[in-house]
Amino acid sequence: MASNRNRSWPGLILLVALSGLFISPFVWMLSTSLKHESRIFSRPGEPPQWIPTTEKMDAEGRRLVTYQGQTGADLGRADTGRHALLVDGQEIQAWPEEFEIQQQLGLHWQNYVSAFEMMDFMVNLRNTLFICFSAVLGTVLSCSLVAYSFARIPWKGRNAVFVLCLATMMLPYQVTLIPLFALYSKLGWVGSFKPLIAPYLFGTPFYIFLLRQFFMGIPQDLSAAARIDGCSEFGIFARIVMPLSKAALATTALFMFLFQWGDFLNPLIYLQDSRQYTLAIALQQFQSQNESAWGPLMAMSTAITVPIIALFFLTQRTFIQGIALTGLKG
Amino acid sequence: MTRAERRNLRNGLLFASPYLVGFTAFMLYPLAASIYFSFCEYNVIHAPIRIGLANFRVLFFDDARFWRALYNTCFYTAFSVPLGLGVSIGLAMLLHRKVRGLAVFRTVFFLPSIVPIVASSVLWLWVLNPDSGLLNGMLRQMLGIDGPGWLADTSWSKPSLILMSAWGVGGAMVIFLAGLADVPQVLYEVAEIDGAGPWGKFRNVTLPMLTPTILFNLVMGLITSFQYFTQAYVMTGGKGGPDDSTLFYCLYLYRNSFMYLRMGYASAMAWLLFAVILAATLVVLVSSKRWVYYHGE
Amino acid sequence: MLKDYAIAVIALLVCVALLAVLWPSAPESPEEREALAEGRVVITYWDRHSGHEHESRRELIDEFNRSQDKVYVRALSIGYNSLMEKLLTSIAGGVPPDICALDGTILAQLAAQGCFLPLDEFMGSDPYLSQDAFFPYIWDAVSQGGHVYGVPTTTDTYCLLWNKDAFRRAGLDPDRPPRSIEELESFAAQLTVQDESGIQQIGFLPWIPWDHSYKLGVIFGGTWYDPETDRMVCAEDPNILRSMQWQQSFAIDPDSDANPRHALDPQKFMSFQRNFGAYMSATNPFYTGKVAMIIEGEWQCTFIPKYAPDLNWGVAPFPAPEGVEPVAYSPTCIADCIPVGCRNEEAAFAFLRWFHRPRPDGRPSPSSDYNFAIHNIPCRPSEATQARFTDDPTFRVFVDVLMERPVATTPVTPVSQFMGDEIERYREKVVLRELTPEQALREVQDTVNAELRRTRAFLERTRP
Repeated sequence: MASNRNRSWPGLILLVALSGLFISPFVWMLSTSLKHESRIFSRPGEPPQWIPTTEKMDAEGRRLVTYQGQTGADLGRADTGRHALLVDGQEIQAWPEEFEIQQQLGLHWQNYVSAFEMMDFMVNLRNTLFICFSAVLGTVLSCSLVAYSFARIPWKGRNAVFVLCLATMMLPYQVTLIPLFALYSKLGWVGSFKPLIAPYLFGTPFYIFLLRQFFMGIPQDLSAAARIDGCSEFGIFARIVMPLSKAALATTALFMFLFQWGDFLNPLIYLQDSRQYTLAIALQQFQSQNESAWGPLMAMSTAITVPIIALFFLTQRTFIQGIALTGLKG
Repeated sequence: MTRAERRNLRNGLLFASPYLVGFTAFMLYPLAASIYFSFCEYNVIHAPIRIGLANFRVLFFDDARFWRALYNTCFYTAFSVPLGLGVSIGLAMLLHRKVRGLAVFRTVFFLPSIVPIVASSVLWLWVLNPDSGLLNGMLRQMLGIDGPGWLADTSWSKPSLILMSAWGVGGAMVIFLAGLADVPQVLYEVAEIDGAGPWGKFRNVTLPMLTPTILFNLVMGLITSFQYFTQAYVMTGGKGGPDDSTLFYCLYLYRNSFMYLRMGYASAMAWLLFAVILAATLVVLVSSKRWVYYHGE
Repeated sequence: MLKDYAIAVIALLVCVALLAVLWPSAPESPEEREALAEGRVVITYWDRHSGHEHESRRELIDEFNRSQDKVYVRALSIGYNSLMEKLLTSIAGGVPPDICALDGTILAQLAAQGCFLPLDEFMGSDPYLSQDAFFPYIWDAVSQGGHVYGVPTTTDTYCLLWNKDAFRRAGLDPDRPPRSIEELESFAAQLTVQDESGIQQIGFLPWIPWDHSYKLGVIFGGTWYDPETDRMVCAEDPNILRSMQWQQSFAIDPDSDANPRHALDPQKFMSFQRNFGAYMSATNPFYTGKVAMIIEGEWQCTFIPKYAPDLNWGVAPFPAPEGVEPVAYSPTCIADCIPVGCRNEEAAFAFLRWFHRPRPDGRPSPSSDYNFAIHNIPCRPSEATQARFTDDPTFRVFVDVLMERPVATTPVTPVSQFMGDEIERYREKVVLRELTPEQALREVQDTVNAELRRTRAFLERTRP
C-alpha cells in the first residue's frame, strides 16, 4: 500500500524480528536433516545446535579427540570400558569423559540417501500429485458454484442450507469414519483413490464458506448491469464473478493442495497397497513407533516441505492480488 | 411466489446442486448412522444395540473425565481463537505493504503451517522445555525470572498449547491478506481527505472491510479449536497428561472410539460437541448481521 | 447463454479426459500381476511393524511367494499410529486383511470383542502350532473361552539394564547390578546427579521409558486381575499396594521430613523427562546417559549396537522384593490372527503353516529366522533355546529369565487398553500426591470393574 510506504521502517524491523520466530522450525528441520544421529539432541542444559557438525576423522578413519589439550586418535573401546587413545605416538587409556570428540562443520547427506532408500519416492510423489490435482480441480469448480448460490442468489431456504453445510464440519471425524468406510466399501471403492477424490468433486464446506465471503464483497451493481444486458445467471458467474475472484480461487486451490499433500489419515485408511501410498503416509511410516530415526525423518520432512514452499513462494502474488475494484465505485 | 423468486430458487438450487448431491451421497448416511450409534452400545464389530439415552446419562452424571475434557477444550478455544485472530490480522497488516522481499516474508510466516507436525512438535518441545528450553532461557536472561514448567506443569500445559497455536496462523493470515487486497484504495484516499491518521484508517476503513474475512476466520477458528486434536496428540503422547490437563475433548473421544471400542459412547460425545459448536457458530452468525459489512451490498 | 453452457461442458469434458489419462494404473507389482495371471490366490498381510522389522518380515514373505505357486501374499506395513482405525474400519466395512499381525494385548481385547476367527482346528492339527509347542503363558495370552485366536510369532520380556560408565563415575562397581529392591533404591540415589539448574542424571525412575505399573505390581508378587471371578482385585492386594507405594517413594513428599534418599522433586523430574529424545534413536535417555538404570526389553540387543554402539551396558534380571518369588514379566506376544470376514482362509492357513514350521530342508522355521533378525524371543521354548539366541550373553539373560522363572503377563480381557490407561492415569495421581496409593487402587479397581461388567453384558447380548 502506497499509504504505508513512508512508515515502513518500524514495521520492517518488526517483520525481521518476527520472521526469526516463524522460520526457526524450518531451519531446525533443515539443520537436523543434515546432522549425524549422535549430534541431533543436545546434552542437558545446552541449547540445540543449529549448525550441523560431524566428527573429525584422521586418514585411517579414526575419530580425532582432544585429550588434555592434545589431539589424539580414538582406537576404540577396551574391555575395561576405557578408550585407547593414540596421542603423540603413545597409546593411552582414558574414560569417555576425559576426552572430547573433535567436531568440524559438516553436512551429513547420508540422511537423505537413507530417506530416499526407505521410500518409493517417485511412486509416492506421483500418487500424491494425482490426488492433489484431481481434488483441487474438483474443489475449485464445485465450491465456486455452490458459493455463488449461497452468496449471490437470494433463494428461499438458502440460509438453512448454508448452516447445514457449515454444520457438517462440526462433527469429529472419528465417529463418521466407520459408516463412511462402510459406504465406500459397499461401493467397492476401498483400495482405490476414489474415496480420496470423489467427495471433493461435490464441494467442501470450508472452501464454499471461504468463497462465499469473497463473492459477497463483489458489488451487486455489476450483476445487475449484466442482467439488464440479458446475461444469464451462469453468464454472470462465469464472466463477472469468477474473473474478479482469482485471488480467492487461488487461495482455495492452494489450501486444498496443501491439505491433500499433508493428509495421511484418509490415504492410510482407504489405500490397501504400499504402491498406492502417498508421501504423507511414507512420512508417517517413518515416524511410527518403530525406527524413528530423526535424521532421515527430518530429511524426508524437508524433502516433502520444500516443494510446497516453492509452490507458495512462486504463486503467493496470485492469491494476494486484490480484485482491483478501484474506480468501479465512487 | 413471484416469477423472480421462482427463478432464483431454481438457479439457487441448480448452483448448489453439487453440494446437495454430494451431501446426500456421502454425508447423509454417515451422519444418520452416527446419530443412531449415539443411542446405542456399539463396539464396531457387532451390530449396535439400542440403549436409549444411557450414553448421555453416563456422560452427564457419571463421567468426570468428560467434564474435564469439555472444560479443557472450552479453555483452549476461549483463548486460542481471539489470539489467533489478533496475530493473523497483525501479521497480514505487516505484510500488506510494498517492501523489498515481501514474497520471502510471506513465505516465512506461512512456513509453520506447512512444516510437518512431527518436525514442529519436536522443536516446540525444546522451546517449551523448562530447564534448557528457549523460552525459559530468555525469561531468565531478560527478566531474571524462573519460567514455569510449561507442558510439564498442570496449570501451564494448556497455555503452552495456546501459545503454540498462535504460531501456526499462516492460513488465516493468507486469507486476511486476500481480504486486505480487496479493500478499494479509493476508500483510503477519502479517509485521508477527512484527516484520518493511520489508526483512524485502520479503525474506519480496514477493519470494516475485513469483517467478511474476520467472520470466516472466527467461525473456522471455533470449529477447528473445539475439535483440537492432532497437536495435542503429538505433543502429549496421546494420553492428555500431565494429570488430564491436556485431555481435550477429541482426544478423549478418540480413546473412547478406537481404543476402548465404545463407539456408541463416542458418537454421543461427538453429537454433544456438535451441539456446542453449532450453538457457538449460530451466535456468531446471527450477531454477524450487526458487525459484518459486505462491500458488495 | 447456450454458448456459456457449451464452453463449461467442453471445459469439464477436457478435465475429465485429463484425469482419465492421469489415473494411476492398477496397484499390483509386476510379481503380483504375474501371480494373478498364474491363477494364484492373492492374500493380504497387515504388519503392525514398520521400518527394519517390517523389512525382515517382507523378505520372508517374498521367500514364501517364490517357494510355491498357489498363494501370493501381499504385505503391507500399517505401523502403530493408526492401526486401530485402519483395522476396525476394515473389519466393520467387510474388507479386512486375510492376516494381521498384532500385539497380544490388542489381540486379546479385539478377540474378546469378536474380531477374529477361532483357529482351534487349524492349530490343533499341526504339531508346530499346537499348545505344547509354545510357552504356556503365550498360549494363554492368545486363547480365551476355550478358543485360540492367534498364531504367536515373537515374545518379549523385561530386565534391568544399567550403564556401566555411570556406575563407575558414581563410585559403584560397574559389573555389579543391584540385587535387591533396597540396593536398587540406594544405587538410584547414588546415581542421581542434580545441580541448581535441575536434574542432570537420573539413577532410576520406575516409569521410564513408559509406565511400568502393571509389571511392577506383578514383580512385587501382586495380582491385579482375577480371571476366575473376572474382576480387578488390585485394591485388595497388599503386594500391589506395596508396589504402588514403592513407586510413590520416588517422588518427594513436600509434607514429610523423612523422604528417602532416592526421592526426587516431581516438578524437576517431569521437566527432566521432557528433555528425553526419541525412544528408538541415539537420543534415547538411556543411551545418552541421562538415565543410569532402566527397565527394558530384549530388543535392546539390536537397538543399542545400532543407535549407541559406544554404550557400556549390562543386563540383569530385575530384583525381586524380599520374600517374593522372582517372576518374569512378558507383555505377551505379537501374533498373526485372521479377522472375521477374511475371504481366503485356506490360503492364509497355507502361509501360516509355512511360516511356523521348520523349512523342508531342515533349516529353522521362518518364524525363528524372523525373531533372530529383529532380536525378539521366539514363542516356542524349542526355538528360544537355539544356539543362535543363547550364544549372545546379553540376549541370553532375557531368554533365561523366561525359561527359568514363572511368567506373568497382562490379562486377557475385552478392556485391556482401558485398563492400561486407567492404571497409568492413577499412578500419575499417586506420584503427584493427589491421591494415596490406596485411593488410587480403589479407583482403578472400581472403574475398570464397571467397564468390564458393562462390556461383558454387552457382549453377552450380542451373542446370537
